[in-house]
Amino acid sequence: MLSRTAENLYWTARYIERADSIARLLEVAYRIHLIPNTSEGYLNEWESILSAAGIKESYLNNYKEISKNKIEYFLLFDPNNSSSVKACIESARNNLKMVRTAVTLEVWNTVNTWYHEIDKYDTEKYDTKNLPMTLDWIKKQVNLIKGTINNTQLINDGFDFIYLGIFYERADFTARIIDVKYYILLPSSSYVGTQVDNFQWSIMLRSVSAYRGFKWAYGNSQIDYTKIIDFLILSELCPRSIFYALDKIQHHLGRLTKFYKSDNKAHRNIKAIHRGLINSSADEIIEFGLHEFLTKFIDDMSTTYSDLEEVYFLGIDK
Amino acid sequence: MYNEVFDKKTPRKAYQDIITWANSLPYNTLIKKKAEAENLFKKIGITFSVYNNFDSSERLIPFDMFPRIITKLEWLEIQDGVTQRALAINAFLRDIYNKCEIVKAKKIPADLIYMNPAYEIKMVGVKVPHNIYSPIIGTDIIRTDIKSFKVLEDNCRTPSGVSYMIENREIMMRMFPELFEKNNIEPVENYSSYLNDTLKSLAPKKCDNDPKIVILTPGPLNSAYYEHSYLADTMGVELVQGSDLIVEKNITYMRTTQGMQKVDIIYRRIDDDFIDPISFNENSVIGVPGLFHSYKSGYVNICSAPGSGIADDKAIYAYMPEIIRFYLGEEPKLSGIKTWRCSKTADKNYVLNHLDKLVVKEVHGSGGYGMLIGNSASKSKLNVFKKKISNNPNNYIAQPILDLSSVPIFKNKSLSPRHVDLRPFTLIGNRKRKLVPGGLTRVALKEGSLVVNSSQGGGVKDTWVLKN
Repeated sequence: MLSRTAENLYWTARYIERADSIARLLEVAYRIHLIPNTSEGYLNEWESILSAAGIKESYLNNYKEISKNKIEYFLLFDPNNSSSVKACIESARNNLKMVRTAVTLEVWNTVNTWYHEIDKYDTEKYDTKNLPMTLDWIKKQVNLIKGTINNTQLINDGFDFIYLGIFYERADFTARIIDVKYYILLPSSSYVGTQVDNFQWSIMLRSVSAYRGFKWAYGNSQIDYTKIIDFLILSELCPRSIFYALDKIQHHLGRLTKFYKSDNKAHRNIKAIHRGLINSSADEIIEFGLHEFLTKFIDDMSTTYSDLEEVYFLGIDK
Repeated sequence: MYNEVFDKKTPRKAYQDIITWANSLPYNTLIKKKAEAENLFKKIGITFSVYNNFDSSERLIPFDMFPRIITKLEWLEIQDGVTQRALAINAFLRDIYNKCEIVKAKKIPADLIYMNPAYEIKMVGVKVPHNIYSPIIGTDIIRTDIKSFKVLEDNCRTPSGVSYMIENREIMMRMFPELFEKNNIEPVENYSSYLNDTLKSLAPKKCDNDPKIVILTPGPLNSAYYEHSYLADTMGVELVQGSDLIVEKNITYMRTTQGMQKVDIIYRRIDDDFIDPISFNENSVIGVPGLFHSYKSGYVNICSAPGSGIADDKAIYAYMPEIIRFYLGEEPKLSGIKTWRCSKTADKNYVLNHLDKLVVKEVHGSGGYGMLIGNSASKSKLNVFKKKISNNPNNYIAQPILDLSSVPIFKNKSLSPRHVDLRPFTLIGNRKRKLVPGGLTRVALKEGSLVVNSSQGGGVKDTWVLKN
């Protein structure tokens, strides 16, 4: 497969996953917004999702104040935001257009149709009352695309690159959103373990659509810091956990090394991170420092991405 | 004007069923089907881009659902005629880049070749695999009366439109399957596999493996990008951009997830000038440095060969009958159109004196840009062209204004005649030639207009060649 094709498939998938993440983030903010404000020392929930998405600075370059409507618009449609949902779809479609021949007509159709729909949508007249519907629509489209990929794509190397994109994005997003909770939402460590803390954690769970999953996995027990860390980082049951994403990345890299009959450092390094997670416990992570753990994880992942890029996306002989 | 469908008020034999069908089609069904078809085109992404336009976004090419029908007899005439031309063009290209016998025999003026900007001096003496310079030729054919078809233009660089030929058919079969059950229509879907076979037969000298074919595109912003990806997809070959290819020690490779892989045949859809910044335009960022050397060393074939464009030059066109006689020893099966070359003083004077009765074209123009249709042009436009021609006569040719034949389009609640042309695609491989029975019918959507180019408001139709 052409290196450029592999790279474009990888990025198409990342953008699609990112659109999904943004929709879920917005859902969290919306949910907090509807609940009476119990919080002491609570930073504005709308502001916090800007931090989670890593675009607070670019928002403040465009708007003077933090306002619900503007943030919604910024995250969903704003042409000035290169990671808005609309921009994600556009990037996904542009990437896919470059490699039209690498996906089935059905996959192309779902992405292209969505692009035309969102393009037609009169974003200037965006009405905040439509937020829940809009978010449902986005999540539904993402599921449609992923389902179409699963059901129609050839399960070849291209399929692996698509899934590498999805799970790199997911690992990154989950790590960031936990870090945001730790660093931004909770103003001081004296709040750890308090009601505010636990309330915020439950919101985090919802943001990755794992609230009910958590209840089922741990019994209907009290939401508790350690368990949530275990669930979002180390659980093999939670589809949004870092471990699950790593497991999938390792799986698809493993398939590629078999397919191409040659092992490489990207695969070896991912295996090392994967092993590290298996041998960790939530308590150890807390002892090490959650923020430190996540920062190291994000760094390690970005190193493995460079490896991946070097091995597969440059296309020169080693 | 020759009406292909009606003889006075009666439908011609080939069209009788279709006219009955069209007349019985309820208006709201028509509207619905039209919207459905447009939606399909858009969903699949069959779009083109228009240059010289502020809005560079993707457009749909207007599709009219009334089919154009060609009888078997008519098709045989076209087939023989365009194949003959394609063979002559390849023989001509081989000759002018080698021994130049046609010039020595004084059948064509030397300066028309050697002074021609489309003559690629770097190609002189280059050994072209199997001596096929231009394996894919699109011939623009028109009709002015019941008697015969005429050739308006040859396109032997990178003719486009073949994907529309195939997709128009796909859409029609989806919209009106009943028409295909009743009528005996030749399929066109084999084009891609014919193209694959043709290219495969043109492996370069230094290729001892099963030849690896790729299609080279300038990228998604090119107006024909959809076609490039369509062909790559249906041929099962990689669609590459310049940056995907790399030349090392004169061998051409593509960058893949498994490292560098040798490439043997490139069906390029980028212009000569941009192929290789080392040998041609140094500013090209879409080309591949060193590609031309790889080609000359026999490691890779580039189809069509650089320099092929001279054969579809509009000034050379006037000599086509001579070219056919000289290389094939046959009379041309399809006639051309009387052409005045403004580089000749007598011709130039005639053109300047009869400007309002002529079509004036730039010698190297295409896509309907920079053209004058004398009888419908304003006085000031005529004056502008008068000046242009006087200042640079070599750049212009003129032809009579031809009354192109017509086929109706669906217009509101009735059928309304519009001018059409036809572009079949001839494939010339090593010892084999193929022609899919069909072609692209382009239709001028504006009433009375003679310009069918999609960039100038033309549309397309499904074209049926009948089996018997």
